[in-house]
Amino acid sequence: MPEVLTGAQVLCRVLREKGVDVVFGYPGGAIMPFYHALPEFPELRHVLVRHEQAAAHAADGYARACGRAGVCVATSGPGATNLVTGLATAQMDSSPVVAITGQVPRSMIGRDAFQETDIIGITLPITKHSVLVQDISELAERTREAFDIALEGRPGPVLIDVPKDVQNQKMEWDGGTADGRRVAERNDAFRRSASRPESREEGLRRAVALMASAERPLLMVGHGVILANAYEEVRALAERTGVPVITTLLGISAFSEAHPLHLGMPGMHGEVHVNRAIQHADLIVGIGLRFDDRVTGNTAAFAPRARIVHIDLDPSEIGKNVPAEIAIVGDAREMVVALLQAVKPRRCDAWWEEINGYRRQRSEAYHGGLSPEFILGTIHDVTGGRATIVSDVGQHQMWVAKHYPYRTPNTHITSGGLGTMGFAVPAAIGVQFARPGTPVWAISGDGGFQMNMQEIATMIQEGIPVKMAVFNNGYLGMVRQWQQFFHGRRYSATPIWSPDFVRLAEAYGIAGFRVEHARQAEEAVSRAMKDPGPALVEFMIEQEANVFPMIPPGASLSEPIEGEPASARVG
Amino acid sequence: MVSLPHTISVLLDESLLSLNRAVGVVRRRNLPIDSFSVGPALTPGVSRLTITLSADQATTDRLVGALRKTSGVREAVSYRGGEGVARELALIKVRVGRGSYGQVLDAIQLFRAAVIDEGPEEVVVQVAGSEAFVVSLIRALEPYGVVDVARSGTIALERAGAAAGSFSLSNSQDEQP
Repeated sequence: MPEVLTGAQVLCRVLREKGVDVVFGYPGGAIMPFYHALPEFPELRHVLVRHEQAAAHAADGYARACGRAGVCVATSGPGATNLVTGLATAQMDSSPVVAITGQVPRSMIGRDAFQETDIIGITLPITKHSVLVQDISELAERTREAFDIALEGRPGPVLIDVPKDVQNQKMEWDGGTADGRRVAERNDAFRRSASRPESREEGLRRAVALMASAERPLLMVGHGVILANAYEEVRALAERTGVPVITTLLGISAFSEAHPLHLGMPGMHGEVHVNRAIQHADLIVGIGLRFDDRVTGNTAAFAPRARIVHIDLDPSEIGKNVPAEIAIVGDAREMVVALLQAVKPRRCDAWWEEINGYRRQRSEAYHGGLSPEFILGTIHDVTGGRATIVSDVGQHQMWVAKHYPYRTPNTHITSGGLGTMGFAVPAAIGVQFARPGTPVWAISGDGGFQMNMQEIATMIQEGIPVKMAVFNNGYLGMVRQWQQFFHGRRYSATPIWSPDFVRLAEAYGIAGFRVEHARQAEEAVSRAMKDPGPALVEFMIEQEANVFPMIPPGASLSEPIEGEPASARVG
Repeated sequence: MVSLPHTISVLLDESLLSLNRAVGVVRRRNLPIDSFSVGPALTPGVSRLTITLSADQATTDRLVGALRKTSGVREAVSYRGGEGVARELALIKVRVGRGSYGQVLDAIQLFRAAVIDEGPEEVVVQVAGSEAFVVSLIRALEPYGVVDVARSGTIALERAGAAAGSFSLSNSQDEQP
């Protein structure tokens, strides 16, 4: 006799079938049948967050760290709407998140029922796909499809909205069939445009020719290289050709920063020599990046001498922000392998010499010698470079991007596209699940930390030993910096009061350390690492330190601010 | 960057959610849309959404690219005026007084339109043609008193002999500096 299962049990079965081992969630009325079934599936570890936003970020962090879909669960109404920022973050950074939301019973939909919200409508522009499950008979297929869509091609978030009565419906379960047909059909157009072999071959051939003849070539490497696991191939391509490698914010850690061919991060806070290299380059081979406005500055003046080869899995990215002379649609790894097979060994010595001539030494004074570079170097050294760094958004994020000496692939995780403050702490929880037994550091400013610091409780309840670093300067530093540079130093709403973070740590029952001088840093970080549980280290950094250099918004990469602007000094 | 009339033809799953997604892709770009229409396509379960807009080629290409990766969209193509045939259907309710009936009929004949319903003081006229053609008839009937108009929005197909679904995702190569 076939088993009879409820919708909630079907959902859990399919989660297991898809290899899910952890779900981040928060119960509530419309998702209660799912939570009723959950204890029957001990392989599905549930992590109770303190706010649904954190569930979405944790699922995102998990997905970025291990490449499998991260799963978050919330109830209808406010539970679902609290996921929104996390889903938008995942959408912008191509992260495969599957969100399961409870919905009011079908008979109540459209009647403004208690905790009813049109979460499908709300999340339409920030999900790759979404579905309201109308009946238990389609629940398994829709759920499988959700995972397939989240992961295939360019990854992204998918939302499944399941009415409470569908979770309670019963059906005879025959195991179902893993049926990807509808997905295949749906994404027909995408697939077709993604695989035009003739134009791809032609593009690769022309790219190889340009890579042989260019005098000032650059490789620009983005998130696509991490998603495609193309580290070795990119390194081999760089080594065979001697071409300098630029890593975008989300491409950081795709190429070892210890490698002599590594140049740095481009764009708004890129080093002068990196941006100048772009402006002087005669060839840019972009791999798995979208030429975001924070990378290009004013696109009209971006890389004026360069011919651009753009390799991306998503055909809609090519030509979107900067015109590409050669478009190669495909998986970063496969395309780099194809290039690698055809390029002839060469060197770029003269070009390197030119770039090295652009390098600048900057000296900035920091209170107590506690420079961001020093702090990050300390964390790197104490963790033996084994840590995954999850940064938040703001000045510290740029310092992490510029100064943390990444050696290991995919050890830098941050909210790049959406720029979501409050991302680091909950995302680090997800990263820790994907990488048990390895150090995970959430690095935040005092502003972003306070957006999701409630998740310390989650870490304690679930035994998640995330280490937290708070760069405390008493300001919303990046906005303050803009106010200093572009708004006549009017610090409107940027000074921010914080609680005593060390005592906050104590209140939560975790180890907390405050570092005011460089000499205290190593001990604090070491003690945080030795503690078996979560720990917090607060770094009292220079209050009005700025991230230099900086390309003013709308300006070209050739117009960096390299120090305190004259207008700002007037005060 | 020259703004030209473009027609975008989208084949999508026949569901409000897919339609909503596709329309959302257009809506969020805040483009000057001239017309939207949606109806069944050849394949059962598939709708055809036809969008006409004035935009430069690069913007149109980006829109097509975004539509093509939208969940529920099976195909999206764009073509300029000459590459497709485009028609609109309109129903026009117009007053007919004792003195004007003959003149209204003359106008209708000139536009190869038809009276599809008739009352004592009004008639309903059906006309099909290019958008400009339809608008011309409405203008021609205005002096007699146009009471109401229902227009289908433009629907379009690629010209006879064009390969079905042939399209260009040109990446604006012709607009390189």
